[in-house]
Amino acid sequence: MFELILNVLLFVFFGWAFFTHVLEAAVPAKVLKNPYALKPDVWPKAIIILLEICLLINIIKIIRKNKGKENFTISAFIASIPEFFKSKLFQGILILAVASFILEPLGFMVTSFLVLIAYGWLLGARKYGQLVLMSLLITFILYIVFSGLLSVNLPRGTIGFLRSFALTLEGIVQNVKNLFGGSKPAEETVQAATALLRSLPVMLG
Amino acid sequence: MSMGQLLMSGISAVFNPSMFFMVCIAIILGTVFGALPGVSATMAVALGLTFTYTMQPIPAIVFLTAIYCSSITGGSITAILFKIPGVPSSAPTTFDGYPMAQRGEAGKALGVALLASAIGGVFSALAMFLLSQPLTAAALKFGPSDLFAVTFLGLSILTCLDSDHILTCIISGLIGLLLACIGQDKMYAVQRLTFGSSQLFAGVEMIPVLIGLFAITEVFNQTNPKKKRLSAEDGVTGGKVNTKMPSLKEFLSIKWTLIRCSLVGTVVGILPGAGATIASFMCYTMETKLSKYPEKFGTGIIDGIAASEASNNAATGGAMVPLLSLGIPGGNAAAVMMSAMTLKGVQLGPLLLTQQPTYLSATFMSMIVTNILMVIVAMWIAKVFAQILAIPYYYLGPIIVMLAIIGSYANQMAIADVQIMVIAGVLGLLVKVCHFNSAAIVLGLVLGGMCESNFSRAYTMSKANVGAMFSPVQHPIAFVLIIICLALLLSPIIMPLFKKKKQA
Repeated sequence: MFELILNVLLFVFFGWAFFTHVLEAAVPAKVLKNPYALKPDVWPKAIIILLEICLLINIIKIIRKNKGKENFTISAFIASIPEFFKSKLFQGILILAVASFILEPLGFMVTSFLVLIAYGWLLGARKYGQLVLMSLLITFILYIVFSGLLSVNLPRGTIGFLRSFALTLEGIVQNVKNLFGGSKPAEETVQAATALLRSLPVMLG
Repeated sequence: MSMGQLLMSGISAVFNPSMFFMVCIAIILGTVFGALPGVSATMAVALGLTFTYTMQPIPAIVFLTAIYCSSITGGSITAILFKIPGVPSSAPTTFDGYPMAQRGEAGKALGVALLASAIGGVFSALAMFLLSQPLTAAALKFGPSDLFAVTFLGLSILTCLDSDHILTCIISGLIGLLLACIGQDKMYAVQRLTFGSSQLFAGVEMIPVLIGLFAITEVFNQTNPKKKRLSAEDGVTGGKVNTKMPSLKEFLSIKWTLIRCSLVGTVVGILPGAGATIASFMCYTMETKLSKYPEKFGTGIIDGIAASEASNNAATGGAMVPLLSLGIPGGNAAAVMMSAMTLKGVQLGPLLLTQQPTYLSATFMSMIVTNILMVIVAMWIAKVFAQILAIPYYYLGPIIVMLAIIGSYANQMAIADVQIMVIAGVLGLLVKVCHFNSAAIVLGLVLGGMCESNFSRAYTMSKANVGAMFSPVQHPIAFVLIIICLALLLSPIIMPLFKKKKQA
């Protein structure tokens, strides 16, 4: 039933898009004047028409195939919805959705730690002490590999003390790199560490 | 650039200690990813991409090529020891590999698998190197209508591969093509299908979508596991094994199998859409038919393993031929490679050989080096495989998730890309519910832009006459290719009619 509903939704959505969103800006006059130019709406419209025909055939096929089957009813589908919301799959989707929104304010380190704990728990980790330690360790390794070795700019977070923490860490990594590379110590580290120390009283109370 | 110069530039690009070290790291990553069930070769390349953002183009190409080639080989380890293919293309390896392991010949089975993989891989790399020049020369003579026909052929072939779901396959390809239309039109910069979102002005961002479809969807699938997960004790030898190379006599007895399967595997790999899985099944069946002792296949003979492994690795290299010389990926993993290489500024297609020949020779050389080094590295991995499998999925799954998040974010330092990745992961689940084909969606998305702009140019050049675009006199190549495309697309409608007539 879910397959049928999805196909119908796609059919309706593409139909709506065909009439409303294929062209969202005016076509330049020189294109309109050129009789040999392929207007920018022709290609997507042709695809949508073919898509709608195929979807319609598919919908008919699904109905024919499942006709008379016990659970092929709307009520059976509605009855199965609460089950989905209780499923681990839904919780997994939720964890990732939340992660994608907290990544910016909380930064990489905190998000990574939380995702590793939450998803690890979801997948069946029950030794909590070990899970917390491993999550810390993996976060640290990922940070060193990507930020330290591969110089990828990971999100620092927008919340004051978390940002200072990230900057301090980056500074330390930079200093370690400089030790091996032989250049002067980064002044930003000192500045970031000072900022972190200043924000401590705010954090504590 | 002559062949010799190309070869020299490849050698100078790859043969230095730091590059060798990187290839080794990539092989370890690739083999481990490939060996772990639930991590496909495509996912391995998508996750490997995360490591390459800050690399220079050549090291990045070498790194990704090494991951791509070795992940297919890694699949054979689990296939032989656990009867579970690490990657789908190793499925035929289980037929003979597992019975051999049960007989206590796991070491020899692994040795044959690794050797056959290396031979298949080197063969296809050579084919890529030799074919890229004539193919590029031919492609440079192609006009827009020919290029459109070639791209369209790539998409049409997909439909006849999944014969049980032809309609859903066509729908998937069309959805991919439509997704490629999102954003500003490439010819006249007119906004289309953005639904008012400024994020979509530049089009659908490929990398997060690919990571979402191939890595996140798989982790979601594993979140609700129906089967018990693998543990080292499940393996015939408790997961611990010493690889043993076949004797010269045994090796000579399978030489024709190796040559035939490398050749067929390469050809199948070159065809767009037909990847390593089809190649390995096809070659296994072919060898059963050609063998003097077909009854022994499936009971544990080295011929079966050689057929499957030589062909799937050959197909991996084969898929690089159309990717490098025409800009058309031969399958899922090649599509991810395409996005990664484009990101690094590689101009895939006919211009690669003329303007960036070093990139082509670096790819070739890294394929050769990877396939040879892989034998040694994979042997070592097979030995410690029990420890690798002992990593519980509740650590591995979240690590994959984090790699995917970093990979999507680091693409252009945008949180929106991470959100797109999550959405793509959920869409991947819906694609499965609808029996759509994610490979077709990805190929549609990757080829859509090229398909449309070439069609548009050909349309203008033929003065808005679609018939003239594919006329047999002016554009014979386009004409022949379009006829083949139509035959492929219409075959599901026409074939049943023929069968009915025969039955009547």
